[in-house]
Amino acid sequence: MSRRYDSRTTIFSPEGRLYQVEYAMEAIGNAGSAIGILSKDGVVLIGEKKVTSKLLQTSTSTEKMYKIDDHVACAVAGIMSDANILINTARVQAQRYTFMYQEPMPVEQLVQSLCDTKQGYTQFGGLRPFGVSFLFAGWDKNYGFQLYMSDPSGNYGGWKAAAIGANNQAAQSILKQDYKDDATREEAVQLALKVLSKTMDSTSLTSEKLELAEVFLTPSGNVKYHVHSPDSLTKLLLKHGVTQPAAESS
Amino acid sequence: MSIFEYNGSAVVAMVGKNCFAIASDRRLGVQLQTIATDFQRIFKIHDHLFIGLSGLATDVQTLYQRLVFRHKLYQLREERDMKPDTFASLVSAILYEKRFGPYLCQPVIAGLGEDNKPFICTMDSIGAKELAKDFVVSGTASESLYGACEAMYKPDMEAEELFETISQALLSSVDRDCLSGWGGHVYVVTPNEVKERILKGRMD
Repeated sequence: MSRRYDSRTTIFSPEGRLYQVEYAMEAIGNAGSAIGILSKDGVVLIGEKKVTSKLLQTSTSTEKMYKIDDHVACAVAGIMSDANILINTARVQAQRYTFMYQEPMPVEQLVQSLCDTKQGYTQFGGLRPFGVSFLFAGWDKNYGFQLYMSDPSGNYGGWKAAAIGANNQAAQSILKQDYKDDATREEAVQLALKVLSKTMDSTSLTSEKLELAEVFLTPSGNVKYHVHSPDSLTKLLLKHGVTQPAAESS
Repeated sequence: MSIFEYNGSAVVAMVGKNCFAIASDRRLGVQLQTIATDFQRIFKIHDHLFIGLSGLATDVQTLYQRLVFRHKLYQLREERDMKPDTFASLVSAILYEKRFGPYLCQPVIAGLGEDNKPFICTMDSIGAKELAKDFVVSGTASESLYGACEAMYKPDMEAEELFETISQALLSSVDRDCLSGWGGHVYVVTPNEVKERILKGRMD
């Protein structure tokens, strides 16, 4: 019945919905999940790698986590090729701001600027929306550590803990129960690993299927974005007791 | 007075044994009046790459900010630092983009390339690269600098001796130029560390 309103992004359906945007969110619901948790001394981002094959050429680059600028990083869920375009856009926007104002772009402004780009694809041009959701983690001198989630419609919000991708509703409800306001970064890592182990479809959790990154301040006051190496991840998984196969259903 | 001589400047870079040194004066003037004695002309792009910019001060700052923009994006996309020769090509391209309304700067680029081999080059304000194996100079004191470097330079100097040589060449040249001077700023870069030193010369 509402098929006539599907094919163009730029028009509403009679019920007041933008179907293309909703279909984009469907696409993301099938992609590898990502969780972000805000702690008082940093932000933790964790992602589930969907593409694991022995044939894949391992390199240092990551599949789910990307650095946008020295003080902001993001985790993605959805269509990777769409994500690459938006990440490049975000990087250029951050540099343009720095060039103009000679200081790092505030995190919310960066998120807003990228979301404005995404929104354009839901209102003009007749092009489909980007099939990506982001979790932005960053630090600026006005608001300290921040975590933002954005979706294909161009909507964004600041969160204490958020999940995107497959099983995000299950992850979000576990986070709602278990999140503590004054957790440290280590506790946030532990919570992130626990939640992901419960919501991931695969039978066992190994460092090959995960990516873990943290945004924090070094003792000298600089913002650091650190992606854990597979060895470091394995140690963490053992330490927090999450390497056993997830036998119970969530 | 030419626009290149409006602010006054002196920049020099020299190659040593597995190291390089880059030095500049510290004066910022408005024609004959000195208005600052701590003006930064040498900028770090990454640990093994420095660029010194002589010429009009506003273009020095703007050009540097544009180069930071480009290098940061390069680092994010390629996940590594830019090699000095690549960077030199980038600077040359950016300068030529403004062929008919140029940045009034003459860059001096110095870095450690592959296998930590020292690389230096200079170019004119529209991007004509000049690679050298020994030393490069630019600024209002360039003629004196050419003479001083030619006389004092010898190949394969170690870091300490290179520092002494480049400092003497810089100070003696800026003393003959009324528009540059008020001390010196010297960076000596080896594969493991960067030594930054301030020189006190004739403060006039």
